[in-house]
Amino acid sequence: MKLTKTESLVTWIVRLLVLVWTAAVVYPLLWTLLSSLKDNKQFYGNKPWALPELPLQWSNFAYVWTEYKFGGYFLNSVGVTFAATALAVLLSAMTAYVIARYPFRGSSLLYFVYVSAMMIPLILSLIPLFFLLDGIGLTNNLLGLILVYGAGALPFGIFVLVAFYKSLPKEMEEAASIDGSSEAGTFFRIMLPLSKPGLITVAIMNILTIWNEYILGTVIMNDPMKKIYTLPVGIAVMQGEMQYRTEWGPLFAGLVVSMIPIIILYALFQRQITGGITAGAVK
Amino acid sequence: MTAKPSSYRFRRALFILGFTLPTFLLFSLITAYPMLRGLYISFFEWSGYSGSMSFIGLDNYKRLLKDNIIGTAIYNDYFLVFWKVVLILAIATFLAVALTRMNLKRTGLFRVVLFFPNLISVVVIGVLWRYIYNPSDIGFLNAFLSLFAGDPVKTVWLGQENTAMWSILAPAVWAGIGFYMILLMAAIMNIPESFYEAAGIDGASRWHQFKHITIPLIWEQMKVSIIHIVITTLNGSFIIIFLMTEGGPDNSTQVMGSYLYQIGFQQYHMGYASAIGALILILTLVTSLILNRLLKRETIQM
Repeated sequence: MKLTKTESLVTWIVRLLVLVWTAAVVYPLLWTLLSSLKDNKQFYGNKPWALPELPLQWSNFAYVWTEYKFGGYFLNSVGVTFAATALAVLLSAMTAYVIARYPFRGSSLLYFVYVSAMMIPLILSLIPLFFLLDGIGLTNNLLGLILVYGAGALPFGIFVLVAFYKSLPKEMEEAASIDGSSEAGTFFRIMLPLSKPGLITVAIMNILTIWNEYILGTVIMNDPMKKIYTLPVGIAVMQGEMQYRTEWGPLFAGLVVSMIPIIILYALFQRQITGGITAGAVK
Repeated sequence: MTAKPSSYRFRRALFILGFTLPTFLLFSLITAYPMLRGLYISFFEWSGYSGSMSFIGLDNYKRLLKDNIIGTAIYNDYFLVFWKVVLILAIATFLAVALTRMNLKRTGLFRVVLFFPNLISVVVIGVLWRYIYNPSDIGFLNAFLSLFAGDPVKTVWLGQENTAMWSILAPAVWAGIGFYMILLMAAIMNIPESFYEAAGIDGASRWHQFKHITIPLIWEQMKVSIIHIVITTLNGSFIIIFLMTEGGPDNSTQVMGSYLYQIGFQQYHMGYASAIGALILILTLVTSLILNRLLKRETIQM
C-alpha cells in the first residue's frame, strides 16, 4: 500500500511524538542514576542536567547502605516480599483450585466476595487494621507485614487462578483419582506443577506490588526508634530528614537501590508481567 | 455410576474445608474485619488508644456536610479522576496505536521501555518529582525554564494553590500510562488483520480505520481502563499527595484519603476519619456504577 503525502507526514509526526514520550519516560530514570553518582557540591554548583564529575561518587551507595541502614531495609524488603508472596500464592492456588474444580454450595458467593474485595478502598480499613495488629503485637514486626501483604494479594491470585484452573483439562484428575490418589495429593503432585505458568504470573505481580508498597508499611512499621523499615518506608523517612541534612547523592543512590531488583525482575519476566496485566484487568 | 459412600463424602468435605479455610480466615481477619469495623467506628467518637468509644449516631456524617475541607478534597479527587482519565487514555491509546498500526521499527523495545514508570514505587516517584519541582536552584524544572526566561524562575510549584494540583497530576499521569498502553496494545493486536485490509482496499484512510475499526473493537478495554483509573484514583491517589504535599498548602491539595489520614493518624479523631473512609467507599461504588451505565449506552449506540 502506497502512502499519500499527508499520511507519510502523519507517520513522521507520530514517530516524533513517540520518541518525545520515550525521552520523557527514560530521562528522569537515567537522571536518577546519574545523580546518585554526584556529591553535594555538584548538586548546588552545577545545572541539574550536568553529567556527574569524575571520580564518580560510588561511595554514595555504601554510605546509604550503612549510614542510613538501607542494607537492613533491603533485607527486610526481600524477606517480607518473598514470604508474603509465597503465602499468597499457596493460599490463593488452593482456594482457586477448589472453587474451579470442586464447586460447593456457596463457592460462587465466596468467589464474588474475594473478587469484589479488589474494589474496596484500602484506606477505609487502615485505622482498624492498625489497632488490630497493635493489639496482638504485630506492629513493628515483620510477621505482621507479611500477613497483611499476603492477605492483600489473595483476591488477585484467586481471580487469575480460578480462570486458570478452569481451563485445564479434567482428565488429569480423573486419572489420578482412579490411581487412588487423594484430592489433596492430586493437587500437590499434579495440578500445582501443571499450573506453574499461572502461579509465576501471580507471583511476579505480587512481588512487584509488595516490593513497592508504601502506605501499609509506614502505618504498621511506625516506630522511629526500632526502624524496622522496608525500602519504600526507609526512602520516605530519609526524604523527610533532608530538611535537616541535605544529602542528595545518597538519597538518589537509595532510589537506585530500590529500583534495581525490580528492573532485573522485569528483564527476566517481561512476558509474564504483560500477561499479568491483561489477566488482571479483565475484571 | 456407583453410589458414593459417606466416608468418601466426608473425605471430600474435609479436603474442601482444608483448602479454603486458611485463606478465608486470613482474608476475614486482615481484609474483611477491618473494613466492617471501619464502617462501625464511623458512628462513634473515639481517639484511638483510649478505651472509651462513645456512640454518636450520624454526627460524624453530619460533620462531613459542614466541613469545607471535605468539599475541597472531593473536588480534588474528581479533578484527578477527570484529568487522569482524559490524559492517560489519550496518550495510552495514541502510543498503543502508534506501536501496533504505524509500521514503526523496534516497537518491542519501546513497549518494554515505556512500561518502566509503572514498575517504580510511588515513593520513588514522589521523591523524584519533588526534586524536579524543587523551588531552589537545584530543582530541575525551574533551572530548565530559567534557560528561556530572562530572570531565574523561582516558582514554588508544590507550594502555591494555583499550581500544586497540576504539579501532582503530572507524575500521576506519567506513572500511569504504561499499564493501559500494554492493555490496549493487546486489544489492538487481537483485531484480525483482514479488517484493516478490507478497509484499505475500500480506500479508507488510516484515520478512518482508527475511528471505525480500532476504536469500536477496543472499546471494551477502554471501558475497563476508564473504570480502573477511576477506582484506583479515588482509592489510591492519597499516597502521592501524602508524599508530595501532605495536603498543603493550607489543605488546598487535600484528597479524601489524605484528609482521612491526617484526621485519624495525626489528629486522633478515629470516628470522623472512618466516616471519611465510608464516604470514599460510597463515592467509589456510585461513580463506577454510573460510569458503567453511561459507557454501556455508548456501546449500544455504536
